[in-house]
Amino acid sequence: MFPPCRIRVSGGFVLLAGWFVLANGWEPLVTVLGAAAVHEWGHWVLLRMLGAEVTGFRLSVLGAVLETDSGRLSYGGELAAVLAGPAANLLSALALTAVAKGRWPAAVGANLILCAFNLLPIRPLDGGRALYLLTAWLAGPAAGETAARWAGTVTAAALAALIGGVIWTTGGSLWLLPALAAGLYWSAGPWFSGTHA
Amino acid sequence: MTSRQAGRRLMHARARRRSAQSVRSGARKSEPLTAKDLRLMLRLVACGVIFVALVAAKLLLPARMADFNQQLSAAMERNMDVQAVFSAVGRAFSREEGSGVAEVYEAVFHPQAEATQTGATLPEADLPEKMTTQTPKLQDGAALDLLRSFRAVPETSAPTPETEAQSASNLAYVLYSQENLPEGVSMEQAILGFDYCAPVVGTLSSDFGYREHPTEGEERFHYGVDLAADVGTEVRCFADGTVTAVGDSSSYGRYCVVAHEGGYSTLYAHCSRITASSGTAVNRGQKIAEVGETGMATGPHLHFELQREGSYLNPVYYVSAL
Repeated sequence: MFPPCRIRVSGGFVLLAGWFVLANGWEPLVTVLGAAAVHEWGHWVLLRMLGAEVTGFRLSVLGAVLETDSGRLSYGGELAAVLAGPAANLLSALALTAVAKGRWPAAVGANLILCAFNLLPIRPLDGGRALYLLTAWLAGPAAGETAARWAGTVTAAALAALIGGVIWTTGGSLWLLPALAAGLYWSAGPWFSGTHA
Repeated sequence: MTSRQAGRRLMHARARRRSAQSVRSGARKSEPLTAKDLRLMLRLVACGVIFVALVAAKLLLPARMADFNQQLSAAMERNMDVQAVFSAVGRAFSREEGSGVAEVYEAVFHPQAEATQTGATLPEADLPEKMTTQTPKLQDGAALDLLRSFRAVPETSAPTPETEAQSASNLAYVLYSQENLPEGVSMEQAILGFDYCAPVVGTLSSDFGYREHPTEGEERFHYGVDLAADVGTEVRCFADGTVTAVGDSSSYGRYCVVAHEGGYSTLYAHCSRITASSGTAVNRGQKIAEVGETGMATGPHLHFELQREGSYLNPVYYVSAL
């Protein structure tokens, strides 16, 4: 019934998870992974509904990625599949609030943060892809490419500046350095890598 | 050894992969490196360079590296509580759910102690607030470090100019917040409301605050100032008052306590002899004792403390030391 699905977990992800557990304990890791699972489950459900096959699942330092033969999807369909992840997070936050009545604030918060983070209009994230798909759908792929690039660069640069500012003002918090590096990479990335990955 | 082994293993793996690839692509042995191999090689070279550079830095500049290591680990420890951030966002969201727009507005624009900004903004946006809870600890450590660094000056060189001692005490005043002081200590510069004079005109040899104990060798709070002077130098009363105690203790040596108006009292310790007797009224500037090195002292000096209703004040503001 289900097509064979290749699951790959990168060494970087294992290292990151190990560090996270050392720094914060098991509980937040479970919370984060739970929220991530909800997110990916949202994507997966919509992809299944649209009849696309999920061919692989990759866990890396940068997050989880579902591999799919999205070539057959329409712009609208792909847009829906992309937005399904954050939507699943938002719905699960609402559901948890309604059912648990504030008993698991951390899970609600993790879902909300993951939702907001993924909606940033930076390309590898859902927000960036949604922006590209929407613009490409309405004004053509070239316009979509330009819009996604500029939005990604500006947002990532702003994010990097914000993180840099936080590090500067608190005089430490080196755990934010990878985030700063990611922000800088994202802001410069699309201009180096040519068309797009 | 291990790194070399790892390197060899990596090389081996690469060689194996390349051979597998070349077999797959038709055994072209003389072909230049593929892009993938080149990337792998570059990665290996970069790792090697970083490794060698770090080892070289550690061997060549051990003190600098130890210092850097300490700074780095201190900065790393200033971490955020991920669970707390999640919880704060979650609670803000839950509160939002149960109530109207007014409360949402309040949660976002007037964040209380717990409520951080909602997840509607960037996830990083609610981090700075978490930081503020960490900063007192940070200041504490920094203050202590700074104090340790300047404290060494008046101790090693005996004739310290007044300006330096004064600036040091001012620095202490700025650095100390109420949180990292021992109980019953106030760094405020109280306005006494009566005339006073320095009990001894001498060198300030030890300041009010944390210091390494001269005989015990550990970090302790010094509740007074030490004014170095020759044995027999007269100790004059700080202000008008009544002698409430004259005594001899293993740590203070021969000492006396004078009560002044407004709940203030002063203590004069390590004296060679006390000339005033308990219960008598004394005037400002009157000789009450002579400088000595009785009790736990490493040289002749007057240990002078100033208290207001049981809490210790920094006497340095009222003592014009040389």
